[in-house]
Amino acid sequence: MTLQISNLVGGYSQVPVLKDVTFDVKDGELVGLIGLNGAGKSTTINHIIGLLTPFKGSVKINGVAIDDDVKKYKQQIAYIPEQPIVYKELTLKEHLEMTMLAYNLDQNEAWKRADKLLKTFRLENKLNWFPDNFSKGMRQKVMIVCAFLTNAKLFIIDEPFLGLDPLAVNDLLNLISERKRQGASILMSTHVLDTAQRYCDRFVLLHDGKVRTEGTLAQLQALFPEAGKSLNDIYLTLAREGEAS
Amino acid sequence: MKTLFKKRLGAHLTELTKYLRLVFNDYFVLALVFMIGGLGYYYSNALKQLTTGLWWAPLLIIIVLLISVQTGRMATLIEDPDYVFLLPKEAELIGYLKRAFWYSTILAALMQLLFWIVLMPFIQVTVSASAPQLFSLLGTIIFLKVAWMNADFARKYHLQHKWMGNRWLFRLIIPVVVLAISIYVNYFIGVILAAIVMIGGLFTQNAWKKRSVDWQTLIADENSRMHSIYQFFNLFTDVPSLRGSVKRRRYLDWLLHKIKLLPDNTYLYLYAHGIIRDNEMSGLYVRLTVIGTLLLVFIKGEVLPIVLCLLFLYLIGFQMIPFYFHFDDNAFVHIYPVTTEFQLKNFQRVLLMMMGTVAVIFAIAVIAVNLTTPVTVIGVLIGEAIEVGLFIFMYVPRRIKKSEFSR
Repeated sequence: MTLQISNLVGGYSQVPVLKDVTFDVKDGELVGLIGLNGAGKSTTINHIIGLLTPFKGSVKINGVAIDDDVKKYKQQIAYIPEQPIVYKELTLKEHLEMTMLAYNLDQNEAWKRADKLLKTFRLENKLNWFPDNFSKGMRQKVMIVCAFLTNAKLFIIDEPFLGLDPLAVNDLLNLISERKRQGASILMSTHVLDTAQRYCDRFVLLHDGKVRTEGTLAQLQALFPEAGKSLNDIYLTLAREGEAS
Repeated sequence: MKTLFKKRLGAHLTELTKYLRLVFNDYFVLALVFMIGGLGYYYSNALKQLTTGLWWAPLLIIIVLLISVQTGRMATLIEDPDYVFLLPKEAELIGYLKRAFWYSTILAALMQLLFWIVLMPFIQVTVSASAPQLFSLLGTIIFLKVAWMNADFARKYHLQHKWMGNRWLFRLIIPVVVLAISIYVNYFIGVILAAIVMIGGLFTQNAWKKRSVDWQTLIADENSRMHSIYQFFNLFTDVPSLRGSVKRRRYLDWLLHKIKLLPDNTYLYLYAHGIIRDNEMSGLYVRLTVIGTLLLVFIKGEVLPIVLCLLFLYLIGFQMIPFYFHFDDNAFVHIYPVTTEFQLKNFQRVLLMMMGTVAVIFAIAVIAVNLTTPVTVIGVLIGEAIEVGLFIFMYVPRRIKKSEFSR
């Protein structure tokens, strides 16, 4: 079991945004984290990457909580933020080198992988450019390349599809599948539900800081038979229901 | 990680030198020399009037030393993307931050030394402190500063015991108590207490250095530190990182509420909000107004004040002209069903407001200083009225037409 979140209560200040959130992501599994704006998706992710500390409950990666061993905990994570964030004064090449340094990667091997990734995302001729001047989609690609350069066991991906061209979306999904086969776990938050439906193994639906429901598409369909067939229909039904109550 | 700090520090120092060269240009250095000379002369004269045993002197010493202890923050040189890119290195970040801590502490200690040197004669005269007492006071403020800095360091971690990074405790309460004991009770007890606080503070590092980093505080602290540095530089030159920053300025809302929401006022609405909230524009305006007023307050004469006053008024108006085009790259204004005729009229109204305000302030300054010369009083009023009228209604339309062609 890679990521285990148990009874997590947390948020930014004293007021909890998350109220008793429990779910897990197993080895080789892609879990989709879905919910309305403000449901607590990003807060959950901020807790996993250690930006926030839990008020109650715990977040463990392969049995290690951040307070047990910061180094062991953090080295297992690769993170792609929702808003791509890059160094103003570093070129694309230097961003890759920075990642290699930070994750202690073997330079030769990492560059081989980097070249492949750069080619996939059509960035190979922009190595000496400054990503700060790139468009949002291109900067997002830089973040993806940096994250998939690593050998992380857990990938945390926050809404990756907005701003990416269709080809890049497809390439990203292929990369995710490849890492899944190698045993990595992936937690991805998204609003693009038809893509999520096709690729995610399981879904965690957050509403108002709580896990409203979770399971595979088949399980969700069985749980809410009158809601409709697609993830989109089920999600809309549950979201409206949640708003009404 | 250690090399990373070295690299960042190098880049940081290059940037600072670049700006400092602009700040300390010849004129400013000259002005500074005169100012320091003047203040030094005033200070040495004032010292001659003072005697031992004044009731307010110890209070003043405590307040000045308290200010001294507040100078210098922890410069971590952390950047926004670090929380993503340095995520796996978090455990080793302590090495980086320790370097930052000691670098900042040494700089801050030098600041304490500077304050101490300046205050030394005052302390000698008013409380007749001996040399060992003075030196223990120096030790006290340096030790307090180290403890201060250590708390600033601690708060960048997710602390188990929040008091270790408590700002009120280490920035205000402890320094006030220790300094008061130093001055009113005994200098040596003060320095010993300060040393205990410092050593105790440094020992708390063991409690948190293995904990997880509070990236949000770490990044926010560094950004606010850099922001204040840039704000200082922005007084002298244009700082690109500050450009485009917008402030809410709620206290000026009453001005904006005066605008009637009519289609004809579309541009008035935009220009007024833009100029008030855009830091670059309002900063320039306030800066020139303050400098101009200060200059006029110190200048007496018949014609010279009028010339200077008109010159500054022209400068301020001239700097505002490019703002006419400020919203041109915003697609909305091209879609709005508003003619450019109103754009110019609205812009002129904003200019009239702004230049009128400056004209009144300048006039008050000139008249207050030169009350005895009626020629200057009348001259400045007439001159300003003519200049504002000509500038806004003759010069600006032509100037804008010309720039529209060249755009």
